[in-house]
Amino acid sequence: MAVTPRNIENARPRIVAISPDDGSAIDLKNPALAALLSWCVPGLGQLYQGRTYKGRLFMGAILGTFLAGLWLGGGKVVYASWKPGDTRWAYVCQAGAGLVALPAAVQSMQIHGVAKQPLFCSTFMAPPLTPGQYVSRAYADVLTRSDPEIDGDSFFDKPPLKQFRGEQVSIWQRRLGRWFDIGTLYTMLAGMLNVLVIYDAFAGPLGTPTDEDRKAHKEGKDTKPR
Amino acid sequence: MIFSALVAGICSGSFPLLFAQLVDRVPGILFGLPLMALASLIFAATHHEDPAEIRFAAIHWAVWLGGILGLVLAAVLLLGWFA
Repeated sequence: MAVTPRNIENARPRIVAISPDDGSAIDLKNPALAALLSWCVPGLGQLYQGRTYKGRLFMGAILGTFLAGLWLGGGKVVYASWKPGDTRWAYVCQAGAGLVALPAAVQSMQIHGVAKQPLFCSTFMAPPLTPGQYVSRAYADVLTRSDPEIDGDSFFDKPPLKQFRGEQVSIWQRRLGRWFDIGTLYTMLAGMLNVLVIYDAFAGPLGTPTDEDRKAHKEGKDTKPR
Repeated sequence: MIFSALVAGICSGSFPLLFAQLVDRVPGILFGLPLMALASLIFAATHHEDPAEIRFAAIHWAVWLGGILGLVLAAVLLLGWFA
């Protein structure tokens, strides 16, 4: 028999999980790839495995909660910062939501890098400025224009850069009040719950099949993959 | 114990204070409910595969989480009230 990609695909052993509900087999396809996809976009791994109901459910629930949290927190609650004294541990949980939280890491690297400004000088998911932090003049201008509580006096002029005098996270917390915490909580929980979704894509449902389900699986009554 | 403390609070005339403490937490409770629903849904969906089972389990989880978190909130309120 000729060796073709189709034959190889058929010869490869299927990795399946057993449904705890009816004992049917769930084709996990490539579990590692599914887990990666589910991290990138919540539910995408399940969609890849053909589990469309769960895929859509996870995508809507996780992304909806993450975006709701971002909106409640005025777009300021998702940022990454690893500076001593300003470590944003909440981002560790938020990063679980996948690509939707990734711009924060990029913005953090940009503003602490050589450029001293976020990507495209955008304030989206940019970390707050700390006292004495140097930024580019262009970004200082953007902040002066976009934030009513930041003006020209908020910066020391240190050509070719500018040095921030205040503490931006305090401004955000004063302005947003409890919404800052509620938004942070929403985005954190969305990221943490996505870890369960990733595990579901990798290993199937967490629920334990009953003895009847196992028996039915052994007897080959569950040949219909989902 | 929590229930008897609540009854004691009502009987002793300190209920308005307890009520005020509860009202102060309303935004937190209100915005916590969607998170509880989300957690219930995700827990249910990661334990089951059948849509009908997922819906049933989500309600089951919501009752459990609501009960446990409600008890914790009641305990915190009462402890704050006694303090």
